[in-house]
Amino acid sequence: MIFIVLFCFISFPEQRNINELKGTISMIEHERNDIEIMLDNVGMVYDSADGKEVTALTSVTMDIHKGEFISLLGPSGCGKTTLLRIIADLIHPTSGNVLIGGVSPKDARLKRRYGMVFQSATLYDWRTVIKNIELPLEITHCPKKERHERAMKMLDLVGLSDFADHYPRQLSGGMQQRVGIARALALQPEILLMDEPFSALDEFTREKLHVDLLKIWRKTNKTIIFVTHNIQESVFLSDRICVLSPHPGRLSAIIDVDLPRPRTMDIKDTPEFTALVSKVRNSFEGV
Amino acid sequence: MKKLKKLLTSKFFITIVWVVMLIAVWELFAFHVENIKRTPENVQPHLSGIVDSLTSDRKINGSQTALQMVIENAKATLTRAGIGYIIGIASGFLLALFMSLSKIVEKTSFPYLMLIQLIPILGMAPIINAITGDIAKSRIIIAAILTFYPVATNTLAGFKSVQREKHELMYSYAANKFQIYTKTMIPACIPYFFTGLKISAPMAITASILVDTLQGGIGLGCLLSQSLKGAMTRYVFWDIVFFSAVIGILSFYIMGIIEIMMCPYRRTGKR
Ligand SMILES: Nc1ncnc2c1ncn2[C@@H]1O[C@H](COP(=O)(O)OP(=O)(O)O)[C@@H](O)[C@H]1O
Ligand SMILES: [Mg+2]
Repeated sequence: MIFIVLFCFISFPEQRNINELKGTISMIEHERNDIEIMLDNVGMVYDSADGKEVTALTSVTMDIHKGEFISLLGPSGCGKTTLLRIIADLIHPTSGNVLIGGVSPKDARLKRRYGMVFQSATLYDWRTVIKNIELPLEITHCPKKERHERAMKMLDLVGLSDFADHYPRQLSGGMQQRVGIARALALQPEILLMDEPFSALDEFTREKLHVDLLKIWRKTNKTIIFVTHNIQESVFLSDRICVLSPHPGRLSAIIDVDLPRPRTMDIKDTPEFTALVSKVRNSFEGV
Repeated sequence: MKKLKKLLTSKFFITIVWVVMLIAVWELFAFHVENIKRTPENVQPHLSGIVDSLTSDRKINGSQTALQMVIENAKATLTRAGIGYIIGIASGFLLALFMSLSKIVEKTSFPYLMLIQLIPILGMAPIINAITGDIAKSRIIIAAILTFYPVATNTLAGFKSVQREKHELMYSYAANKFQIYTKTMIPACIPYFFTGLKISAPMAITASILVDTLQGGIGLGCLLSQSLKGAMTRYVFWDIVFFSAVIGILSFYIMGIIEIMMCPYRRTGKR
């Protein structure tokens, strides 16, 4: 009896300790689970054709959370595309580490966790709109019926259900880019990588697509990395803006955009928006 | 007024103008030749004479009219040209495929491809004939060789025309090589492939006729040289010239029609 009491007496504080420890561990784990993309000292030096070395990117360190909308903003030549291509496993960084949900970019790619959208819609002009969206599903051997249904759902998401049987050349630039987004979402990737997707569009179409992209993002909960050289665009869309500066390409600031969501076009007329735009503009170095 | 302008610039109208102009120029020279030569059909006969020779039922070699003879010989020549054409297409496409799959194949075979194109057909024919020992086979092979080059180079250009982004897309889908080719590369190169087909179709026919002339037998070229040597009326020669011109042009358009049928996406919409 004495022994038991003694045992309880001794073990109680221990139990508490262990529980606390477990709590901290799960907090750390939770934090780690919340991180989708981890960039650690990432650098890229290209060997250019004439034998010279081009430093495109130096020591980029940052974490990107699940479901975050991140912009990579900067003038051309500052390494935005390079950083995006490193994340997408299209090139390997010459220094540093990248982890995508705890695995390497290559493993993430093989698990088809990336959806890619480019500046040009890059549609297959010999395929109809619906067949374009079905393409990635064909690659993964998705059964025909399911393939069609999923593609139609994606098409509905970007508001082009009526154009399923059109060929890309029959669509406007903005519509083509929507199809490109639908295709990128078809495999239900966690991460959407977009390289200046709207920079070839006219201002009216672009503003419309901004609002629609935010809607799609809210519905699908993707992590979006959005490359742009347009300050307003990045402020309107993002949770956080990574400001990249050139010579050499580097991360010169990360700016939180704490504008309320859902955002509509009206937000652009608010003083908060304007203040953020100038804050971002002032954060550039050596442009 | 607008309608008139549209008509004047329509493709059909322009073609008609060209044909009429060609006929006028031809006839002008024919009249000129008629005045200064005793046997104008040896230099340039009237078109009416050529049409007459094709439509008359006068037997030329005892059993056949001119038209029957031309058609019978054309069958032999076009069959050989056709077989050679198909062989050339298949091998040209395959080589382009291997060249796009492997840098080594491309680097080692491209210079020799150029070489083939540089040797004149009439120089190549005796060599091929000596190797195969059979003139019929050589005729097929020559047609194949001439088809091969345009098809191979155009198809390769098609493979290379695929945008970088398309490759990156396939990469992000973790597609395998087979999928990359069947879903992206080959469909993308179809228009280029057809450019090769359209260039080489008349070439295969011309080459067949040319190589026919080297030896006897049955074939348009054989008939052509007999007629030139005076074995039969000179009008047979003119019949063949016009017949092969028409067939050559037709072969080009037939390929164009097949292309349009195979690529519905190029038909639809404007731009
Ligand atoms: N494949 C390459 N080889 C050599 N230099 C490159 C290559 N790709 C990009 N660069 C250089 O790296 C720098 C960053 O390029 P990039 O990432 O495309 O910038 P951005 O997308 O911001 O315009 C530029 O100076 C560019 O010239
Ligand atoms: Mg770029």
